[in-house]
Amino acid sequence: MAILSLAWKSLLNRRFTALLTLISIALSVTLLVGVERLRTEARASFASTLSGTDLIVGARSGPVQLLLYSVFRIGDATNNISWESYQDIAAHPKVDWTVPISLGDSHRGFRVLGTTGAYFEHYRYARDRRLVIDQGQRFEDLYDAVLGAEVAEKLGYQIGDAIIVAHGASDVSFARHDDKPFRVSGILARTGTPVDRTVHVSLEAIEAIHVDWQSGARIPGLSISAEQARAMDLTPKAITAFLVGLKSKIATFQVQRFINEYPEEPLSAILPGVALSQLWDLIGIAENALLIVSAFVVVVGLFGMLTALLTSLDERRREMAILRSVGARPGHVFALIMGEAGVLTLLGLVSGMALLYLSLILGQPIIESRFGIFIPLGGPTPYEWILLGAVLVAGVLVGSIPSYRAYRLSLADGLSVRI
Amino acid sequence: MVIEIEDLEFRWQPGAPRVLAIEDLRVAQGERLFIKGPSGSGKSTLLSLISGVTTAATGSVRVLDQALERLGSIKRDHFRADHIGYIFQMFNLIPYLSVVDNVTLPCRFSARRRANALSRSRDLDTEARRLLRQLDMDHPDLHRRAVTTLSVGQQQRVAAARALMGAPELLIADEPTSALDADRRESFIQLLFDECRASGATLVFVSHDASLEPLFDRTLDLAAVNRAAPPALAGMGEG
Ligand SMILES: Nc1ncnc2c1ncn2[C@@H]1O[C@H](COP(=O)(O)OP(=O)(O)OP(=O)(O)O)[C@@H](O)[C@H]1O
Ligand SMILES: [Mg+2]
Repeated sequence: MAILSLAWKSLLNRRFTALLTLISIALSVTLLVGVERLRTEARASFASTLSGTDLIVGARSGPVQLLLYSVFRIGDATNNISWESYQDIAAHPKVDWTVPISLGDSHRGFRVLGTTGAYFEHYRYARDRRLVIDQGQRFEDLYDAVLGAEVAEKLGYQIGDAIIVAHGASDVSFARHDDKPFRVSGILARTGTPVDRTVHVSLEAIEAIHVDWQSGARIPGLSISAEQARAMDLTPKAITAFLVGLKSKIATFQVQRFINEYPEEPLSAILPGVALSQLWDLIGIAENALLIVSAFVVVVGLFGMLTALLTSLDERRREMAILRSVGARPGHVFALIMGEAGVLTLLGLVSGMALLYLSLILGQPIIESRFGIFIPLGGPTPYEWILLGAVLVAGVLVGSIPSYRAYRLSLADGLSVRI
Repeated sequence: MVIEIEDLEFRWQPGAPRVLAIEDLRVAQGERLFIKGPSGSGKSTLLSLISGVTTAATGSVRVLDQALERLGSIKRDHFRADHIGYIFQMFNLIPYLSVVDNVTLPCRFSARRRANALSRSRDLDTEARRLLRQLDMDHPDLHRRAVTTLSVGQQQRVAAARALMGAPELLIADEPTSALDADRRESFIQLLFDECRASGATLVFVSHDASLEPLFDRTLDLAAVNRAAPPALAGMGEG
């Protein structure tokens, strides 16, 4: 339509303010859709913090608590699982593999996790990705430790460095296992999961550092050196939890029931996926708040357009009189301003999306390595289309305010040109 | 008759004092009418009524045998687009359009004037340039410049070309020369006359500069004709 080309030329004429308005709309659109995409991917990536594991088993407790200490290293177990029960369940015919987990110690704020080589074989995160040793190797010697990427980076450790493990979560001098120092044998590649913040040692090592301890304190008068401990029987007496992989997923509920009704001691078996989404629902409120804030940023961007258009109206009353003199209706004047608002909003949407994809292309590798979140570059999802449509509708609504004012002005002014 | 006004009474708001009260005013086809009157005597208001931007509650304004008060506001806007070329006192041009786009502007709102223009030249831009050439504005360098950098006289000639575009039957000029010096004033009016003669258009020209009066076929002293004019203003009009 003729009036749209007028709107376009008018915007070009005021390209500086138009560009500023456009940028603020574009940035707000980038933020809105970016936050939406990030939160969807964060949810997906959170849901796959642990994948490939069919059941997590621990002492009887709620699923979220079990998930928190076994996967996220947050909080503590109420009780342990005896080594015999673990052996018994691991031997269940439907069970393919198990990964034992023994928690309770820490190193300078990072949790120490005792496990076996099976951990490196079967632990999966994201879309079936396995742990990769970035430097060095798995634990070979009794006093070897494999560090998560963040532990090594934050504390500046390299292969061969000695580390002292402390009893419990707090690192205080009287609770240090300083008679039995560990050596860093390997460092894992970044995963973006709690594995990055974990110090891994063997189950036997956990046993060894506790041979002369009882109920969280050294046994007075008893001191067994690191070398003496090597000669002892280091079979664990208990573990904290274990991960289970089944031969067939069909058996999941059958094995879960078997464990939940295990007669020797009270145990809980949980489905990681279900527990993860329960947990996300607890913390998902923040994610919604973020989306609401970015929606408000869009509103602020559109108000910038409103201000720019409204302040331009007074200096454009002459232009409107000229248009009226060549036969333009007040409706045309409305359409002219509306056209400008529409063009600004549409261009803002398009360049906002372009900016989003550009920053995704640039930021994708960084986000993936830092946070373990892989953001795919696919086209907008249906929900994103709804967001974009809502921005367009809001732009048109906001644009109708100056358009209506221009309509009223041109109706009142007619051909008299006032400044 | 191109314009026939009978028993017209106009007030801007109901209850406000009358601005215009004209018993009878006729303008014949091809006539060049000069309307004079002091400031505030209602000259521009009369032009608004003739161009159908406003209508009077009483009386009749017929333009080209069409009673404007019988048309709805959309029809009147259409009528103006089709039949009337309008020139303001100054700042006639849309700042963000080129010289040629300013001249072709009426063709965006009137299919009739578009067709008229295309019957004369092969496209609208060519017709715009032809008109500009007639008005001594044929330097291509002028066409490329931003309209805001043109001199006032040049702007008024572009405005005249726009008013003439698509050969409307009636040309209305509201003090188009008041910003020009004496020499330019007369040559501008001669150009306007030539173009009106060539297209057979009727010209209604408003000014309070009485020295232009002899150039026109007829003069209308609004202060004398307008029975609504307050005595003080009417007196000023004689002087
Ligand atoms: N859009 C409008 N709304 C209300 N009153 C108006 C409007 N336009 C003009 N008037 C009033 O109508 C009266 C006549 O004004 P008009 O502009 O027609 O005078 P004029 O003869 O053209 O004066 P000038 O020579 O200064 O241009 C004035 O009192 C003016 O204030
Ligand atoms: Mg006037």
